[in-house]
Amino acid sequence: MKSFYYKTFQRDSKVYLSRSSSFLGPIVFFLITITLYPLAFGSDEEQLAELASGIIWISILLANLLSHQFIFNEDYKDGSLDLVLASGKSLFVWASIKIFVNWYFSSLPLIFLSLVTSFMLYLPLDAALILALTLFLGTPILSMFGALAGALTLERGNIVGSSIVIPMCLPALILGILAIQSYKNEEVLFYIFLLAAFLFFSIPILIASCLGAIRLHFE
Amino acid sequence: MRQFFNQLISFPYFFKIAQISFPYLFLLSISVILLGVLWGVFFSPVDVTQGEVYRIIYLHVPAASVAQSIYYTMVIASVTYLIWRIKMASVFMISMAPLGAIFTFLALFTGAVWGQPTWGTWWVWDARLTSTLILLILYLAIISLFSSFDRRASIDQAVSIVVLIGGINLPIIKLSVEWWNTLHQSASITLSGSSIDNEMLIPLLISILGFYLYVTAIGMRRMQVEILKREISHNWVKRIFQEKK
Repeated sequence: MKSFYYKTFQRDSKVYLSRSSSFLGPIVFFLITITLYPLAFGSDEEQLAELASGIIWISILLANLLSHQFIFNEDYKDGSLDLVLASGKSLFVWASIKIFVNWYFSSLPLIFLSLVTSFMLYLPLDAALILALTLFLGTPILSMFGALAGALTLERGNIVGSSIVIPMCLPALILGILAIQSYKNEEVLFYIFLLAAFLFFSIPILIASCLGAIRLHFE
Repeated sequence: MRQFFNQLISFPYFFKIAQISFPYLFLLSISVILLGVLWGVFFSPVDVTQGEVYRIIYLHVPAASVAQSIYYTMVIASVTYLIWRIKMASVFMISMAPLGAIFTFLALFTGAVWGQPTWGTWWVWDARLTSTLILLILYLAIISLFSSFDRRASIDQAVSIVVLIGGINLPIIKLSVEWWNTLHQSASITLSGSSIDNEMLIPLLISILGFYLYVTAIGMRRMQVEILKREISHNWVKRIFQEKK
């Protein structure tokens, strides 16, 4: 007998793999945003190398928030969210699994892609590796904030949700960029540890507030 | 004490108290602000390095102080609402958020007017300015939540969750923005003492006090309006308006 949580994990993964829109959507969004920057700022090599870390971080932040907006939407519409709430299973674990699967399928590909795009934007290899590391620590934070935005605006998905959480994602963005900029000296570890601390600090708080936000639609 | 608190969170009682105290509080706050600002503008000495321009401090610092304090009181209210479900706490948050946005804007505006002659630019991407701008965005985002649900309780719940998360996050945002960049002069008034001359400090403190009184008065008025909106069909509201006639 497989447990409820394992089945949730399996089902969500299958849904993700079987639907090209949810799998490819963030990737296409990310690539097109990256392409916009050289078109707007010009193809000057030095300038792009300077901007690269910021460009990639901002594009990933936007792609992440947009793709996580709809994380609970379908379960809400087809009524399975009601059943989960009524079943007495731990909502915390359930939401964590959903967010993890979402992150695995929509953010992890972007992290690998960011390595490729950082070469396209002339970022040095060392900095690109640090960038990937900061993204690895930072994207779960963005995913959880995106899930919170989605949970808040379940009834009507609108721009309000993401505009609320973007200012709250700033520490992740700033710490990530600072780590990349100081990739040559010792400080890089300091910023990476801080980013990791921010991640572990926000996991319980953000998931708990996600649950609060979900419950408010059922009061 | 406990009884007084219990009475204060009941809508009719609060409404009555606010109705009585509002005119006095409002007049008091206006006169204190006038006292502080006029003293500051006409009687306090001229600053050695900045000249007459510095006098905008008597608006800038109180506005910035009030803008931040409102957010922290809203965080306390959100915790109160989430734990004890006291409706007055949500009334408080919803009435204070627009005030907070206005004072944050005022702080940014007076700061820009002050920055133009002293720094030579209206706006710099400095730590404090940036975190104040983020505070303004946060206030506006909270206000935009007010109309995103159909049910009253959902709005209250959503607003308090966002206020709480923002409150936990605000110090972190401030710290990270500070690492990112700093140009602004550090805070001149701290609890351990101040780096301004007394003759400038006293009118400044009076002006800060006046701003706080003003926010209290206007906040009470806004809370009354919010209470009326929610309780419009209740008997005690009808009775009040019948007495008026």
